[in-house]
Amino acid sequence: MDLATLARPQLNRRDFVKIASLTVAAMGLSQALNPRIVEALEQVAPAKPPVIWLEGQGCTGCTESFLNNLEPSAVSILLDTISLRYHETAMAASGHQADKALTDTIKAGGYVLVIEGAIPLAQNGKFCTIAGKTFVDIVRESAKNAAVIINVGACSSFGGIPRSGPTDAVGYLFRGKELHHVFDDVGNKPVINLPTCPVHNERLVATIVYYLTFGKAPEMDNYHRPLAFYGKLQHDNCARRGQFEARRFVTDFKDPAQQGRCLILKGCKGPIAFQDCWERQWNQRSNYCIQAGVPCVACSQPEFYQETSPLYAHDYDFGVK
Amino acid sequence: MTRVVVDPLTRIEGHLRIEVEVNNGVITDAWSAGTMARGIEILLKNRDPWDAPYVTSRLCGVCEGVHAIASAQALEDAFDIELTEAGRLMRNVFCAGYYVHDHYVHFYVLSALDYLDIMAIANYKGSDPGLLGIKDKIVGLVVKGDTSPFTPRYEPDAFTVNDPETVTTLVSHYIKAIEMKAKSQKMLNFITGIQPHPNTVMVGGCVATPSREQLLALRDLWLEQKEFVDNVYLPDVLAVGTGPLFPLAKLAIGATDGNYLAYPMLPQDGAAKTEDISFGGSNHLFKGGVVNASGARGTLSDIAGINVAPVDYSKITESVTSSWYNYPQGSTALHPSVGVTEFNLNKTGAYSYFKSPRYSSKPMEVGPLARGLVNKFPALVDFFKAGGREGVVARHLCRALITKSIVDQGIAWIDRLIELRTAGPLVGMNEKAVPRNAKGFGVWDAPRGALGHWVEIENHRIKNYQMVVPSTWNAGPRDENGVKGPYEQSLIGAPVPDTENPINVVRIIRSFDPCIACGVHVIDGRTGKVKVINLQ
Ligand code: SF4
Ligand code: SF4
Repeated sequence: MDLATLARPQLNRRDFVKIASLTVAAMGLSQALNPRIVEALEQVAPAKPPVIWLEGQGCTGCTESFLNNLEPSAVSILLDTISLRYHETAMAASGHQADKALTDTIKAGGYVLVIEGAIPLAQNGKFCTIAGKTFVDIVRESAKNAAVIINVGACSSFGGIPRSGPTDAVGYLFRGKELHHVFDDVGNKPVINLPTCPVHNERLVATIVYYLTFGKAPEMDNYHRPLAFYGKLQHDNCARRGQFEARRFVTDFKDPAQQGRCLILKGCKGPIAFQDCWERQWNQRSNYCIQAGVPCVACSQPEFYQETSPLYAHDYDFGVK
Repeated sequence: MTRVVVDPLTRIEGHLRIEVEVNNGVITDAWSAGTMARGIEILLKNRDPWDAPYVTSRLCGVCEGVHAIASAQALEDAFDIELTEAGRLMRNVFCAGYYVHDHYVHFYVLSALDYLDIMAIANYKGSDPGLLGIKDKIVGLVVKGDTSPFTPRYEPDAFTVNDPETVTTLVSHYIKAIEMKAKSQKMLNFITGIQPHPNTVMVGGCVATPSREQLLALRDLWLEQKEFVDNVYLPDVLAVGTGPLFPLAKLAIGATDGNYLAYPMLPQDGAAKTEDISFGGSNHLFKGGVVNASGARGTLSDIAGINVAPVDYSKITESVTSSWYNYPQGSTALHPSVGVTEFNLNKTGAYSYFKSPRYSSKPMEVGPLARGLVNKFPALVDFFKAGGREGVVARHLCRALITKSIVDQGIAWIDRLIELRTAGPLVGMNEKAVPRNAKGFGVWDAPRGALGHWVEIENHRIKNYQMVVPSTWNAGPRDENGVKGPYEQSLIGAPVPDTENPINVVRIIRSFDPCIACGVHVIDGRTGKVKVINLQ
């Protein structure tokens, strides 16, 4: 996308068509919906939907991943598609101003709430505080008036890596596989989980656009993951599945003759990983873990990381010894 | 006396709270506090050592790769593994490649808004269609009354650049930088599997098996990055740093007390084992070293002649007097090989989740300026000769100079990888079984500074894991002797003429490029103890 395109004060129909086709493709929707999405985007664009993006026990990796959008570019999403009212890494405001931007947006209500990072419950939430408030309280406040909640990454979905630490870190709804009911008091609103470590930028953008178009969450599984992205198993669709069936496994990374074989004996968790990394890939579809030669650690799963460790040891019962 | 609190300190990675005391328009005291912890060192206990590079790379989504590398090096030291050439090169290319985007994203996206009066764009009078487009866009946002995320913001001050042409150009580069970042991550992904967060750096090297086509595509994308650095990033930093911002440089705004530490990084040839590293990393693109400035801060001038001592890794300790941790009875400072991470959230006098790292009992500034001084970058020597001093501007300059060396050097590594790949499959791994009992450490100079991982293995499992990370060095609190950490030092003396608008506080801290998630190993224990007179 050239600068002049980016710099237009307003996205035009061509840009919306691009975003719509990304969404249709990403979500596995019918092409027939394309015009409807374009129309919805044209309607929301003049009054861009407000977004609050919170970060708790995260690493900013999901923000980094979001910024990797090229078509449509992250900048055009930030400046033309949504109104990003609060995001600690991207916003110009500091300190008191930032805090006020958050409070004002919450008061006005009806925003998309994006949560990055886990929520630590131990010691009354003291393991993460911002402006003197605990992250647990900030999430509760922000969730009350939100229209929809999107949890980006493994951490805010299920607790991710921090769940294995000493801080009783949980996702918004789940502690691993279990519902924890900590935020039951904030009302019924769609909660969408987009796990993996970090979040996949295309899954995130398509989910936001879907919500803006249809005003509801896409069809989801029991873990609140959109079926379009998390409905199929890595192992059933893996390009190395033939190697698995032929019992040709990588046992020693040093051996060049073993490159391209099935990674199960190196701990591959593909047999429990529901995702479409095998098809969607990462970073403008340039590569993904197994294709790069490294076992899948099932970062899309609620079991990650507590139950999937050790990552590179074959100790799940997948029928291979 | 006015006390000013900036929390959250935005446009950084992680959660940081800065508190300063202002007397007659000048900062006279400062406190830096990390306010989030995950206890990664604790969760690694009793795990399979192979997990460590993956888990520690998730310490930070901004400088993920260096953690994976430092962790893998610590384990390779413990396992006694030597890297293959392909393994070393793939790690170098990956690490160098993300250094590149990391530095210009820091300059344009995280820092520039502290120096530019973005609203000056409305007065752009030129005829460049791209820049007119930017003008239309910003004016369009203003007209519609929705200028987030550019507002609210601190008000421009005497040091702010407000020439419409310069501001508009830099904002157009802000937009371009984000696009280049996405492309750079795609480029790296040919050897990392997903980006950010590499999954291929492991104990023994790099498990990736890129094809020749992928390496050629990587090479093309690398050249595109080089072009951006050569024609946009470096010229912008030089123009602004020696132009409108030179007064800030001459005043040494944001200088620390003058002790600098850098570790070696990017091994050029031969074994990349820790043994080489402890000899000063002579075969590294950037060598490590220690600079102890004599005299008052901000008074260094002849940096070509300064004395650089080799790093002695046994001299590193961490203290927890002002941190929410306990140490065993009788210890105040511990070497990381015997370090302890045990939370105490109710500790009196503590105000941060950072520990206080020290080298020979002294706090050290780490990061680009330390790297520039230790390696005596010629352009930095010239900058000092012309009257530039340590501090905010020097840090931005060093970042650009580092990026330039890296983009220039990287192409040789890529070409060698292509040569190796043309001859046969790349073997980046030299794996070995986990030893029963062993100890090791690994160091690397992360974009934000000196990074070290220390590991102890017992019965094939991790017994103890300790990380002394760049932002702990820079952002750590007072130690047992009451000596302040570098962020705290750097704020003292800085002008804050308007306590409602403490723009210098954020400029100074952001010039370090804080990356907090990895450094904080909590809470606001100070609240209640300190009366906040003016919460800005
Ligand atoms: S175990 Fe992993 S590598 Fe092997 S076929 Fe299944 S998903 Fe693919
Ligand atoms: S392939 Fe597996 S490990 Fe890689 S991103 Fe997808 S779910 Fe995570």
